[in-house]
Amino acid sequence: MEQPNKITALLKREAGILLHHPIYIICMVVLPTLVTLFFTSLMNEGQPTDMPIGIVDNDNTAVTRKLTRMIDGFQSSHVVAHYPTIDDARKSIQRNEIYGFIYFPEHMTQDLLSARQPKMSIYYSNVSLTAGALLYKEMKTLCSLGSAAVGQSTLLAKGATKEQTTAFLQPITLDAHNVGNPWVSYNIYLSTMMMPTCLLLFVFLMTAYSLGTEIKFGTHKEWLQMAGNNFALALFTKLLPQTIVFLFTMAVGVVYMFGVLHFPAPGGLLHIIFLCTLSVIAAQGFAVFMFGLIPSLRMAMSMCSLWGVLSFSLIGTTYPIFAMDAPLQAITWLFPIRHYYIIYQLCVFNDYPLTDATPAIIALMCFAILPAFVIRRMKKAFYEFGYQP
Amino acid sequence: MNSDTSHKQVSFTFLTIMFQELKAILKDEGVLLFFLFLPIGYPLLYSWIYNNEVVREVPVALVDNSHSSLSRTFVEKLDASPDVCVAYKCADMLEAQSLIGHSKAYGIIYIPADFDRNIGRLQQAHVSVYCDMSYMLTYKAIFGAATAVALDMGADIQKKLLGNKTDREDQISTSPLAYEEVPIFNTTSGYGNFILPGVLVLIIQQAILLGVGMIAGTEREKGFANYAGKKDGSKLMQAIGMLGGKAMAYALIFSVMLAWITLAVPHIFGFVSMVHGKDLFLFLTPYLLACIFFAITFSEMVRYRESVMLIVVFTSVPLLFMSGVSWPQSNIPAVWQGVATLFPSSFGIRGFLRMSSMGALLPDVATEFKALWIQVAVYASTALFVVWRRVKMGCNV
Repeated sequence: MEQPNKITALLKREAGILLHHPIYIICMVVLPTLVTLFFTSLMNEGQPTDMPIGIVDNDNTAVTRKLTRMIDGFQSSHVVAHYPTIDDARKSIQRNEIYGFIYFPEHMTQDLLSARQPKMSIYYSNVSLTAGALLYKEMKTLCSLGSAAVGQSTLLAKGATKEQTTAFLQPITLDAHNVGNPWVSYNIYLSTMMMPTCLLLFVFLMTAYSLGTEIKFGTHKEWLQMAGNNFALALFTKLLPQTIVFLFTMAVGVVYMFGVLHFPAPGGLLHIIFLCTLSVIAAQGFAVFMFGLIPSLRMAMSMCSLWGVLSFSLIGTTYPIFAMDAPLQAITWLFPIRHYYIIYQLCVFNDYPLTDATPAIIALMCFAILPAFVIRRMKKAFYEFGYQP
Repeated sequence: MNSDTSHKQVSFTFLTIMFQELKAILKDEGVLLFFLFLPIGYPLLYSWIYNNEVVREVPVALVDNSHSSLSRTFVEKLDASPDVCVAYKCADMLEAQSLIGHSKAYGIIYIPADFDRNIGRLQQAHVSVYCDMSYMLTYKAIFGAATAVALDMGADIQKKLLGNKTDREDQISTSPLAYEEVPIFNTTSGYGNFILPGVLVLIIQQAILLGVGMIAGTEREKGFANYAGKKDGSKLMQAIGMLGGKAMAYALIFSVMLAWITLAVPHIFGFVSMVHGKDLFLFLTPYLLACIFFAITFSEMVRYRESVMLIVVFTSVPLLFMSGVSWPQSNIPAVWQGVATLFPSSFGIRGFLRMSSMGALLPDVATEFKALWIQVAVYASTALFVVWRRVKMGCNV
């Protein structure tokens, strides 16, 4: 056969495999898209709002009731119950009914008005770190507001103007600039990382699966014959249709998140397209390399699973890499998703030039050319080894 | 008498099948990987990743246009806080921005030129904090530290203006209403203590799903020939024996793994563990059974031994989120709350998390405990149906 005909025939064969075995479309398109929908709908609120908290009010005056109403009106907190004692409130946390509570001691109002500095307490559970952090912030704000209210009335009574009062009560203010995500939305922060991590996991698995099943079902001889025993050509035509399908899935995710949900991406579409294409190819390169190292379907897939699952942690989004032990910091270089995230964070999310992410881009390119190192070994595996369960 | 012998026969098949299954597992490297390596190795790996628990000394860049003693005090206090390190002092914002672009700093503190003048004039002074929002923990560290410093310096300024006579007067007038912060559970706000209990419990379910799925895939490739028993025996009895024997084999292996994961790993890495032995045992029993029967039911979806990985591996992170570890359970949309009830891990994680991190007792996790037993009942019947069909298929081979 002539070269162009050969390529068309091989591509057709691969397209046939992708279309005729439902597992391919399920794992390459359906499941990754479902994961994107899952995370974006789960965190649709952006930040968890109206989380249940309790009140232990031993004072029960107009002041404590006002504070209760204030915290109830805040964004994250919602007062769901009053408890007679701290013990009851604590038990309620253990039963998962509330995430925190506020304690007003007896005579609090009286002590406040007679300048005896009463002490209220805020209890919050960090077992869910997200809930704990948000509730802590709001409860702390409530306490400062309580103090400020007293100071304000004293100053106003002494004849100070409104401006003087504000300047006295809060001499230094912070202007927060939450660059790129002013809403501190967890959806923008996490979904944009979950989608690619999950997709690259499927790239790992499907690449190894599609290579290994050729051996498992004994179709590899026919496949290599079609390529005129040109292994590189066979490999290329096998991976290309998969690259296209994965890029399609990625495009669906990108359009949904940045187009429909309007997640900010100041870096622009070109950076996104460059990043997605490069990382899909890099992940394929990595998976082929794994398969070349251990040319057994099961072992290659197990290694790819290990890599794919660890990617969720070693991407460094939720727990930053620099806070991990030094050897782990080095290991993260071996994960394509880590480089994806560096480029995304710098060039898409924060709109820096691609040159700032040069090391990460080079690393992804290295992953992409990894198959070149194992191609001889793989060839041997396909011609000589059989299927190993 | 008759019923007595049949009873004996069943228990005999239970044990025979259990030993057969154990032997088969030992011979299958792939299954061993999931049954032994995964539950032993993964917890160690994850514990190592999150071992440091908290983010300290986050590097920030400073742009100080005020160049005053007050602005320097602000910077010194910020640098002294455990969470933040003022790593770079920049001439202007452009320089600071380029540091963020090279991942050398995660935030910028900008002190404007009128900072000390405003304070001297009894006007509000402003400090701008720019955070790289691609890391939530660094944002929290930087913003939290800056807030604390602003409040602290604010109180000092107030004290000077008030001209009180005693320290006590100072205390009362700067904060008339004192408050105490009590992080009642996970007191260090540690990331490992927060995420690991959930991950640990989830690993058990995923390992069982992968291993059992792989066994079923292998059996399917061979047409379930090993399910065929005596030709004359009742197929249902055969199925009960098969299911019971297999479940016992898995339970035997994973009760050891559960002990390793829920008791040994937290101890080795010093994670919070407030479990009460008896309550933990009572709670994990239905969890283990639910996982096993769920896995046998689920294995109906596995066609080839390797394809189990394609459908199980990716579920780990969504399942972790559905349990309400990261995103609070109270705020999970109803649809996903519903989907979550299908998986033993949702209830297993919720219950174990509260028992180990909050010292909850069995009555405190009653909802989860009951739900797990319901799952055991439901999945045991579906598993029996699945195995019964396999017995029929096996007899036809």
